[in-house]
This record gives sequence, structure tokens and C-alpha cells, in this order.
Amino acid sequence: MTLLMKMMKWTNGIARWGVVFVLVLVTFAGVALAQPAPGSTPAGDPAGSTAAAPADSTRATPGTSTTSPTAPTSPADGDARKACTTAMNADPKFAADMIATLHDIERTADPKLAAEIIATVHDMDTIKVHTDAMAHVQKNEQHVIYAYAAMWIVAALFVIFLWRRQQALQAEIATLRRDLEAAADEATADKARS
Amino acid sequence: MNKFAVPLFATLAAVGIAVSVYLVFFVAPLEYSYNEAGTFNGSSLFFNQKIFYFHVGHAFWLFGAVFVSGLSSIGFLSTRDPRWDDVASASTDVAVAFGAVVLLTGSIWGKAAWDVWWQWEPRLTMSLLLWLVLVGYVLVRKFAGPSADRIAAGMAIFGMVGVPFIYKMVGQSSHPAAGSQGVVATLPPGERGSFWISVASFLCWYLALVISRVQSTRAERELRELRERGLDLGVLQ
Repeated sequence: MTLLMKMMKWTNGIARWGVVFVLVLVTFAGVALAQPAPGSTPAGDPAGSTAAAPADSTRATPGTSTTSPTAPTSPADGDARKACTTAMNADPKFAADMIATLHDIERTADPKLAAEIIATVHDMDTIKVHTDAMAHVQKNEQHVIYAYAAMWIVAALFVIFLWRRQQALQAEIATLRRDLEAAADEATADKARS
Repeated sequence: MNKFAVPLFATLAAVGIAVSVYLVFFVAPLEYSYNEAGTFNGSSLFFNQKIFYFHVGHAFWLFGAVFVSGLSSIGFLSTRDPRWDDVASASTDVAVAFGAVVLLTGSIWGKAAWDVWWQWEPRLTMSLLLWLVLVGYVLVRKFAGPSADRIAAGMAIFGMVGVPFIYKMVGQSSHPAAGSQGVVATLPPGERGSFWISVASFLCWYLALVISRVQSTRAERELRELRERGLDLGVLQ
């Protein structure tokens, strides 16, 4: 009986310590799970990349961006970049504000991220130059006007040439008619004289 | 020759050119071409391609006019019938005008598309030589004296023989290709109607000019013959 009592106390002790041990394990696991894995995206960030930073940073106070400067890894990166580019192209003021914000970031918080984004903005300037050049080629009316002018000028010159030839021909016909009439008159006069 | 032919063809040409201008600028799409990457390639002409409809239309009838002139000259040399010579002379005059349009519009197109006014390549050089032969024909007729018509007929035949070489050379360089795989044969449906209406309009324009020129050349010749006869008979002095 005494032995039985001792065994029960012993098992209670084990159970108590077991419970403590399990609680410690659960705590560690919870803490471990709560920690972000190295290189993973922060929870709740739908864009989850540096590409989202420009759009977000313009809405935040300069210097308060919390996004990490990790490389783009998910398919959403391209969409976010495209959305940002579209927004910047659509509103020059937005683009200017964003560049100013990026310069603030460069000075205060995250120079590497800011430099990367500013380089992208400069690429966009290059793209804009090419886009403007293409638009100029598309709507270039100058050479078409030259070509049509050349066509009509040549046609007009040829018609003028034909008209002048016709005038010369009529003048020649008039001269011939006059000569014939003079010859006829002379012949009539000769007949009358004889 | 029917006296209504010139007004008829001139009216058809005026209406046709007005319609084709409308179609070219308001109906025919802009010319785009893409490469495999989905971006515009270097041969895209966009608005400049509007020159094509009139440049090629004139080129067609330049070649047609040179053939008419050459064949009429063969007819004149073999029969000595001056009516053949009238047709050859009239057709060559019109060919000089059409050739000037082809060279000028082609040069402007080259500047717009390739940023060069002129290249000394075989096709362009041959086209210029053909035009110079035609100009030479006109000068010979005016200044070569009594045998001018026969010398000019030989030049017209020489010019006609050169046309197939020019046609063959088109597409051998930066110029768009001709023939069954050429630009005209592979025109998109949206551009085809505008192009062929423009070609038909320039045919009417060519016919109006040639018939008018033949009539005046024939009248000049008859007048000259009458004057010579009057001088021979002693009626005129």
C-alpha cells in the first residue's frame, strides 16, 4: 500500500513535470513560428517586394517606409512594377512627388533601396524618350505632304505644258488661216485684173 | 479619236483620285509590322506609308507608258505610219511626268523610312537612267532635225527593254519587294481597295493626258503638212 502510494506520488511528479515540459515546448514552438523565416515576406504585405515600395512610400511620410530591400521573387512583383509605372506615366506630379520622396529615403532610411528605385525611374525617362520618338514617326505628316506636293506640282506643270502647246497650236492655225485668206484675196485680185 | 475621250477620262480620274485620297487617309489603316518580340520592327512606316498608294500607282503607269511608247515605236519603224509616232511621242511625254513623280515621291519616302534621300544602288540608278532616256527622247524629237522621229523611236525601244530589269531589281535592296511575294501582292485587305482604286484613277489620268497629247501632236503634224503643201503650191510664202 505504501509502495502504491509512493508510485502514485512519483507518477504525479512526472506528470507535473511533463505538463511543464510540454508547455515549454509549445511556447518555444509558438515563438519560433511567430518569427519570420530568413528572406520570407512579412505577413500581410500583398505586394511583398521592393517594387511595392514606391507606391507605398508616396503615401507614407518620408523616411517611414518599412519595406525590406529584398529582391523581387513572386509573380506579383511584375504586376506591382507595372502598376507603379502606369501610375507614374499617368500623373507627372505623382512621379515628381515620388522621386522627391525617394531622395528623402536615400538621405534617411534606406539608401540602397532608394538608389535602385531612382535608377528604375531614370530608365523610365529613357523609355519615354523612345515612346515620344515613336509617336513622332507614327504621326509624321511632313514627308507625306512633301510627296503629295511633288505629285500635284508635276501634274500641274504637265497640264500647263499641254495648255501652252495648245495655245501655240491655235496661234499657228490663226496664222495659217490669215495666210490662206491673204493668198485667196490675192488670187481673186489677180483674176479681177486679168 | 472621239472628242469626248479626254473629258471622260479626266472626269473619271478626278473622281477616282478624290475617292482614293478619302480612302487612303480616312479608311486605310496605318501600316504597322511587328517582329517576333512583339515590338515594331524597322520597316514600320506608319503614316508615311500613305505615300505608297501614289508612288506605286505612278510607277505602274510609268512602266505602262514606256511599254506603249516602245511598242508604238516598233510599229512606227516597221510601217512608217506617223500615227504610231504620235502615240509614242505622247506616251513618252506623259512617262517623263510620271517618272518625275516616281523619283520624287520615292526619294521622299526613302528619307522618311530610311533617312536617306538617295542611294546609288542598281534599282534606283536604273530608274534614273530610264527617266534620263525618256528626257533624251523628248530632246531628240525637238532638236535632232529631219530624222528625229526614227532616232527617238530607237530610244523608246531601248527604254522599254530596260523596264523588266528595273522590275526585277525592285526588292533586291532596301526597297520593298515586287512580284508574287511583294508588297502589292501581299497587301492587307484594308489597304487593297484603296490601292487598286488609286491605280485605276492614275490609269484614267494617264489616258486623259495621252489622248490629249496625241490629239495636239496629230493636229501639229497635219498643220505642218498643210503649210508645206501650201508652200509647195506657192499659195503660202
